[in-house]
Amino acid sequence: MSGTIMTVDDSPSMRMLLKAALTDLGYKVLEAEDGVQALERLDGATPDLLITDINMPRLDGFGLIEKVREQDLHRNLPILVLTTESSDEKKQRARSAGATGWIVKPFHPDKLAAAIRRVLH
Amino acid sequence: MSALPEPAGALKRITIMQGETKVSDDPGVVLTTVLGSCISACLFDPVAKVGGLNHFLLAEPGSGETDVRSLQRYGVYAMEVLINAMMAMGATRSSLKARIYGGASLRDGFRDIGATNALFARRFLRDERIALVGEDVGGHGARRIEFRPTLGLARCRIATDRPVERPRIAAAVPVAAASLGEVEFF
Repeated sequence: MSGTIMTVDDSPSMRMLLKAALTDLGYKVLEAEDGVQALERLDGATPDLLITDINMPRLDGFGLIEKVREQDLHRNLPILVLTTESSDEKKQRARSAGATGWIVKPFHPDKLAAAIRRVLH
Repeated sequence: MSALPEPAGALKRITIMQGETKVSDDPGVVLTTVLGSCISACLFDPVAKVGGLNHFLLAEPGSGETDVRSLQRYGVYAMEVLINAMMAMGATRSSLKARIYGGASLRDGFRDIGATNALFARRFLRDERIALVGEDVGGHGARRIEFRPTLGLARCRIATDRPVERPRIAAAVPVAAASLGEVEFF
């Protein structure tokens, strides 16, 4: 599989795990540690998928999704939320903001791969 | 080390093995484990009265290690499992407090696995903004931990002063696919 995926998580450990898993699947990985840095790195970049945490400093996942959807370039960018949160209220908020799907941490490699295939291929 | 009050009645003791995680809101439960260079994080939410303990072997996959199918041996994964299980039982992330134990010295070439594990645990908690309220790490002896999850209290005893044995890194048990990483599309 090929393509570029941006991962956004304030936990360096989780970014490293995600990078290992996604690289293993054949994807190129861009990383950001919060919503603000993600927006900076999305400027001019065209990843095929964005995977974001929710609870992050400066700009959280909800805010990031809303900002991304305001940009013409990324209006149709698939966005998967990857978080320890699992409440219906937060899922609904992410859905309203424009998220494509929701994955509860910790991710299972096979399920993550299947979810990515579903949105990218 | 913190005091562990003796209970009025019999407690149910649950032993946590390497790579396992257990969470409970039952005041009658004691979670126990024995650690060498491994680390156990004891997390608790004093408001929800939920607590849990994990037991991990290594901090993080090394550079170029992409065996993501054996993630549960790593602290980075075990911590997420523990936090997620606690939140599913009613804990709130901002209320979480932590104690860490283990990380006895074990040299593997130039690397001290126990010290690396302890550094990882502290860094993870700092990154996740979870208060570390107690720790007993390092040294050379094995430790026995008893943790009352609903009280957040732990007892840590040195089980032996002998240098810790190298943990057996057996073929990893595959991650249980049914319970992790549930995906929902909108």
